[in-house]
Amino acid sequence: MDIYLPIAEVAVNAPLIVALGALVGFISGMFGIGGGFLMTPLLVFFGIPAPVAVSSMALHVAGSSMSSVMAYGRRRAVDFRMGGVLAAGGVVGAFVGVELFRVLRLLGQADLIVALSYLVFLSVIGSLMLTESLGAILRRRRGEPAAAHRDRRPIWLYGLPLKVRFPRSRLYISVIPPLALGAFVGVLSAIMGVGGGFILVPAMIYVLRMPAGMVVGTSLMQIIITTALTGVLQAGRNQTVDVVLAVLLLIGGVVGAQLGARASSRFRAEELRAILALIVLLVGLRMGLGLFLTPDEPFVLMAGMVG
Amino acid sequence: MTLLTTLMLAAASPTLPPTLPPTPAISAALTDTNVRVSSNFSGARIILYGAVFDPSKRPSDVVVLVRGPEQPVRITRRHKVAGLWLNSRPVVFRGAPGFYRAASNRPLADIANFGILRRLGAGMDHLPINAPAEQRVETRYGVRDVVVSKLGADYYVWRRAVVRLKESAGLYDEDEHGVRFVDQGLFRAEIALPAGAPTGIYRAEILLFQDGRPVARRSRTLSVEKVGLERALYVWAHVRPWSYGLASMALALAAGWAASAAFRRE
Repeated sequence: MDIYLPIAEVAVNAPLIVALGALVGFISGMFGIGGGFLMTPLLVFFGIPAPVAVSSMALHVAGSSMSSVMAYGRRRAVDFRMGGVLAAGGVVGAFVGVELFRVLRLLGQADLIVALSYLVFLSVIGSLMLTESLGAILRRRRGEPAAAHRDRRPIWLYGLPLKVRFPRSRLYISVIPPLALGAFVGVLSAIMGVGGGFILVPAMIYVLRMPAGMVVGTSLMQIIITTALTGVLQAGRNQTVDVVLAVLLLIGGVVGAQLGARASSRFRAEELRAILALIVLLVGLRMGLGLFLTPDEPFVLMAGMVG
Repeated sequence: MTLLTTLMLAAASPTLPPTLPPTPAISAALTDTNVRVSSNFSGARIILYGAVFDPSKRPSDVVVLVRGPEQPVRITRRHKVAGLWLNSRPVVFRGAPGFYRAASNRPLADIANFGILRRLGAGMDHLPINAPAEQRVETRYGVRDVVVSKLGADYYVWRRAVVRLKESAGLYDEDEHGVRFVDQGLFRAEIALPAGAPTGIYRAEILLFQDGRPVARRSRTLSVEKVGLERALYVWAHVRPWSYGLASMALALAAGWAASAAFRRE
């Protein structure tokens, strides 16, 4: 059953897109991430123009994060003050990112920057996660105790001015690092069509040293605010949001996320992290591979944006 | 009534000498002149029927050219820089129809010569595509107003790439047996619109060739338009992009909230 997307102006197989939403939703529910990094490349692979895929993903990420954040909110696992500071940075980042994406498309370099961002960020994060989780698995196999948690926070985190108390996270730090982190993730969400959870979560744990229980809920809050803004800005500035595509993805994504969350209880945390690290690494390398392989067709038509 | 009387008069007076030699004529019609793009649109097939009227019975060739609305094309070339394949500066080509079909009853090159085909824009190689932003007029070897392209000798490589990419997207096609004579003077051609065909007004030109020159022509228009929800969303997204963005985001967030509420009750 093919369905014609009004903004993307291509016909797609509706059950296939719903299944794709469900698959990514499953992974997202299982690992507690948005899954944008996986979905956007898949959509492009299935023939959706890249700008439409990136922009419509913002809706999908916002919608599916909304469905998970409610659960975290009820468990009081969201630090609203920290989420607000991150989101304030995210708002600035989203504005910058959408304009940057517009300029890059006009210059014809959007593909390059998207591929490079995927290659660099996903392979770095993927390798770090893989090393860490494999180490944890090996230690458990050998029966050693878990590595002692280094509780030494980086000194610069405390040397900066504008300190604010975050009672829920039991932190008293400067607002500059979370603001900068939020802004950085906001830019990425506009350029890569991702929520940015895969960067936000490790950064909150290892740099800001937030309590692990607060991290996922708070990062989801920041992701919702940032992607909601990105989606509206992409629609307003670039007219690249396809609501039909987003709805199809959401239908599958919502069900998949719930199933994934249930499946996740069957695995150990470090095993889950190792699988996720492999997926992240593979997607990053696959996206980056295009930069090194000789293309069959040296010319590329660029959709839309003819001024 | 008057037409009938004239015809009867003409038939009744065979003594009148014909003032002009009989001119061949061509006529054609489309089975569908309005293609509606709705949510289940997956392309369309339109049949063009026509007839050649030629009392002299000279050998005739028929060429059907269908052009979609003009769409400027941005194209970039990938080239290797320090081991990486990067995009070049994009080049904008104008004059490219968003859809193009050339159908004929035998190869175009056998029907007419290069100059005539070029003038009519018949055939993918003869489309009036150029890159005006890359051109400048200068004096060379004492000749004034020479049009020079900044793309230099590569210009034709770029131009051919535009056609090749459009062809691989199913938007351009040339079918040298696309026009079939089904009976004496009666012909038929099929126009296949892919799902990615642009919306707008299409023009079908039906040309009759004799002895390598076009002797009669007809043109028909065809409109491809979005209808229903497809059209409403498209117009909304382009006319009021901000309210469209806000509404679709509200929908997405509401869907997420509803899903979480629904699964909690279970």
